[in-house]
Amino acid sequence: MTQERTYESAVGRVEEIIRRLDSGDAGLRETLDLVREGRELVEYCAGELEAVNKGLEELRLEELVARLEAGELKA
Amino acid sequence: MQPVTAVTQGIADSELPGPYPVGSYAAQLKRRLQEFARVQLVGEVWGFRAARARVYFELRDARGALPCSMWRTEFDELQVALADGMRVVVGGGCDYYPGSAASSPSFSFAVSELRLAGEGDLLAQLERLRRRLHGEGLFEPQKMLARARLPKTIGVVTGEQGKARDDVLAGLRRRGWGGRLVWAFVPVQDRHASPLIAAALRELAAIGEVEVVIVARGGGSLADLFAFCDETLCRTVALLRVPVISSVGHHTDRTLIDDVAAVSCSTPTHAAEAAVPVDCRAARAGLTVAARRLRDHGRRAVLSRARALGHLSRAPAEHVTRHRKALHQRLRELRASARRQIERGEALEGVHLLVLERSAARMQGSGRVQRGRELERLALALAAHDPQRTIARGYALVSDRDGAPLGSAAAARDAGDLALRFHDGVVAVKVDVQDGRGG
Repeated sequence: MTQERTYESAVGRVEEIIRRLDSGDAGLRETLDLVREGRELVEYCAGELEAVNKGLEELRLEELVARLEAGELKA
Repeated sequence: MQPVTAVTQGIADSELPGPYPVGSYAAQLKRRLQEFARVQLVGEVWGFRAARARVYFELRDARGALPCSMWRTEFDELQVALADGMRVVVGGGCDYYPGSAASSPSFSFAVSELRLAGEGDLLAQLERLRRRLHGEGLFEPQKMLARARLPKTIGVVTGEQGKARDDVLAGLRRRGWGGRLVWAFVPVQDRHASPLIAAALRELAAIGEVEVVIVARGGGSLADLFAFCDETLCRTVALLRVPVISSVGHHTDRTLIDDVAAVSCSTPTHAAEAAVPVDCRAARAGLTVAARRLRDHGRRAVLSRARALGHLSRAPAEHVTRHRKALHQRLRELRASARRQIERGEALEGVHLLVLERSAARMQGSGRVQRGRELERLALALAAHDPQRTIARGYALVSDRDGAPLGSAAAARDAGDLALRFHDGVVAVKVDVQDGRGG
């Protein structure tokens, strides 16, 4: 079963990839595969950061509950 | 202080100033008393009574006593019942009610903080409850929960008017976080607070998108914070599936919710920072660096391999050129060597020829002698068979006219003309054919 991707797991994997690339031990095929995987993870992380970069939105609990009940938001 | 006008004369012969209006003096006394340092006192409660606005009691020990008073609302928030003889610690300062024309003055120690001392105090109660919850393993479940480093939605349980609200916002802004914040405003210090806090926590946790909940309240007396030591509330928090970060009171206070929560922080600002461990601005910058490093690695890997391939592609041609030069050199050396060999051969040949000639010359001399001897031997042999020697002994050789020897009578008859060779000459003879038998 594949583990669910999270921001922290993605960041950890990117750091691991860069360490491997910095070591200079990776061959061409592995390097290109790692770079491709790393780019994909960086894009994912950028998306996660973008999601919390829209400006702080403040809601009261009762307001959120009402909006959820009205189907305006995804629970 | 202004003395009373001349209408009222002072006491004759008195050295003291005055007379002053008592109200002014009372007001000044009040101010002076209030300048006394605010302190904590310990003693036993006597004569406790509750009025509409304030509660009153005396604090006594063996050496003295002090009248005390406390605002009723503050006292009620403590949720304690005082009785004569209970040992308490109070915090506050001197105060004086100057009274009026219609009311009596009174001095009291104005209590702003109070806690029970000895076996019955709140701390002892808390400690017992803390040990029980810990024994049941309720301090652990929250700490086992995975916490998102970058939550998109955060719930906050706090008082609507408190400073904690601003502190939470300040902490989140410091992180550069701009997600969704869900406020659950509840009372945070009266006796009804605990069930409301627990209900708010349950509701926030029930909303799937809330990834972490902060429970925040500013400082206060332990009695103020007692709502956060409620057993039911602590059990609720322990069993929530959403991590709870608590920040209740000052860093010296330790409420039970701090023990059961996933993380406890000293201030609401820190709680907000703990809820978003990632500094979003730094993370964005770090991500840009990571992306650049990945791009550089990819580019460098391809370029270095391309250079290596280019070098390898040129290598065969360079190899051939190198070998061609080597072969040409080898060829030149071979030619030179061959020339030297031929010259050396010719020289040797001359020498050999000379040797052979000399050898032949030597061989030639010795052969001639031998052949002479052989010829001599042959001549002797031939001489032994020479017919002339037979003829010399008295025989004659019969031959035809042409000299061909004839060996039979028949041949002689056929020849007709014969020659008889004697050692001293030849006699011609004619055959008489009539005789037939020769003659």
